[in-house]
Amino acid sequence: MSPVPAAALLASLAAVALVADRAWIVAGIAAALLALCLRAPRSRRWLYLTGTLGSALSVFVLSPLVSHQGYHVIWEGPRIPVLGLLDVTSEELAAGGTQALRLAAVGLAFAAYALLLDLDRLLQAAGFARRSVLAAGLATRLVPTLERDAAGFVEALRGRGVEVGGIRGRARLLSPLLAGSLERSLNLAEAMEARGFGRPGRTRAPSLPWSKLDRLAIAAAPLLVLGALWL
Amino acid sequence: MALARVERLGFSYPDAGAEALSDVSLRIDPGEVIALLGPSGSGKSTLLRALAGLVPHFHGGRFEGRVEVTGRDTRRCRPAELAGAVSSLFQDPEDQVVFGRVLNEVAFGLENLGTLPTFIWPRAHSALAEAGIPHLAERRTETLSAGELQRVCLASVLALEPALLLLDEPTSQLDPAGAEALLDLACELGAAVVVSEQRPTLPLERCDRVLFIEGGRLLLDAPREQALRWLGGHRPEYLPREATTLPENGDAGQALCRLEGVTFGYGAEPILADASLSLRRGEVVALTGPNGVGKTTLAKIATGLLQPQAGRVQRLGRACYLSQDPGRYLVTEQAAEEVALAVDGDLERAHRALAEVGLAGFERRHPRDLSSGERERLALAAVLVADPEIVVLDEPTRGVDPPRKAELAELIRREAPRRATLVVTHDLVFAGDVADRRVTLGAREHARA
Repeated sequence: MSPVPAAALLASLAAVALVADRAWIVAGIAAALLALCLRAPRSRRWLYLTGTLGSALSVFVLSPLVSHQGYHVIWEGPRIPVLGLLDVTSEELAAGGTQALRLAAVGLAFAAYALLLDLDRLLQAAGFARRSVLAAGLATRLVPTLERDAAGFVEALRGRGVEVGGIRGRARLLSPLLAGSLERSLNLAEAMEARGFGRPGRTRAPSLPWSKLDRLAIAAAPLLVLGALWL
Repeated sequence: MALARVERLGFSYPDAGAEALSDVSLRIDPGEVIALLGPSGSGKSTLLRALAGLVPHFHGGRFEGRVEVTGRDTRRCRPAELAGAVSSLFQDPEDQVVFGRVLNEVAFGLENLGTLPTFIWPRAHSALAEAGIPHLAERRTETLSAGELQRVCLASVLALEPALLLLDEPTSQLDPAGAEALLDLACELGAAVVVSEQRPTLPLERCDRVLFIEGGRLLLDAPREQALRWLGGHRPEYLPREATTLPENGDAGQALCRLEGVTFGYGAEPILADASLSLRRGEVVALTGPNGVGKTTLAKIATGLLQPQAGRVQRLGRACYLSQDPGRYLVTEQAAEEVALAVDGDLERAHRALAEVGLAGFERRHPRDLSSGERERLALAAVLVADPEIVVLDEPTRGVDPPRKAELAELIRREAPRRATLVVTHDLVFAGDVADRRVTLGAREHARA
């Protein structure tokens, strides 16, 4: 499938996951997107999947503890200053589960976009707001670059006999990682300007025509969102 | 008529104390090949950026004098407007790549210049063919080696058919054959070429003229023969030199690291097959070979950063590894703290190690405020401070100027009797200066020594 219809379809699935009232719809979308993401190479997908599923799990675990709804108490804990009485009700669990599924679905839609779509072709197809699309494409590529840089830092330290472990050890890498990515982005911006980026009168290399499936996906994307709103 | 003219150019970067360039005047004629030499931080890259209009437009700063390229004043033209007439190839290809697919990367500049859509793909394909990499057109850029990526960047530049090609240390990551091929290709284009290099032999063999810049001042602007005489009298370390021939075998000293029949692969295909290597106390071994043959992998296995999939590794004592481009991987806020990381925060030892690499007085400086050369020496101190029995230095001369290479060679030789040292390098002249023997890793061959 061409990247523009695929991106539209992913965006509509994420939107449906956000607006749908029924948990089984959200769960179905999350499961379908997870299956899609599992088609990406293992080495690339683990960061996206652990990030998304870890965040969703955190929402599921934490939201019942901080929200106060329902009467069917499953567990009662101590009273905590500011938060009040810690308890978990079955209604809070259901709501937390739905929110976690929504977050998982949206995260997995982004993961599928980053892992499986040809961002180059998406950019080529962009007839307007090309700068924004390019910025989004470069930002998407930032994740694997940061991952590579982080691995470089860990390896450089291990090469000196310094093991990087635990949250504190990894947190120490955040500031140099950020500084490094800023340096990289400045170098890239300079190289892009040297190659004429931003000059008026740019043209576009011809892209492949859309297939029937592409047209179908583009038509289905808004219908899915409308359907979810109607349901 | 001159293709480019620089008149009394002076430039300071914002917040910089000293001038990066001072009173530089020169002209570049169409088709000329010019070697731009000088120490690190002397202003070579700044001069190239001034010719591309990136100085002052991209960097800001104080600009004096005048730079004209194809009759256009660079103060009035943005770099994007000069693109096409002037093209730049920078040192690190990873920092230049915009797209994920090679063909799109090459087409990017053509699209920016407003090339007719029907001409874009054919021109991109022919530029890839000119760069000798037509087979990479559909490859993902993140799967390419540094050498392949630099050729993709060159193809992106060739596609624009520039009148002036600016090359800023373009061969620093390439093996000798790759470097030679890249420079040959650039010089055969018919465009004027200005090439800045820290391995001066190749550009000096190909150039018509030589510029030597130091402290921001142009000390020499002369035709090649005259320039060679001047370099011989004033800066002999920049003269082309033949690499010393090194033996492949050595048998003196206690073996501190022994690799036997080592196999390793990142995917299904092994990059190393049945490789063997022995490092002995007191010797410096140079590991050479083409790009992508597994030198870094072997070096990492020797230090324990990678575990082989087959074969045996024996090490006696602590092994340390200095990665490529180590200045990128400094993590603390002060130089002394960075060095002390490997010795449980012992600042006294860190200060001594800094002094040994010539960085006494830099203890409290932020690593990112140091020049690239100083960062590399800091990273070297961070490795040597732990007094390891085995040291592996991966491309330690990348971006290092000839006088500092000589200093580095002296430092490695001075430290050598205490340990076994492996230097992975493409710089055969440096290898000849520093090593006792050389192990060459060839495609699908074994390193046996």
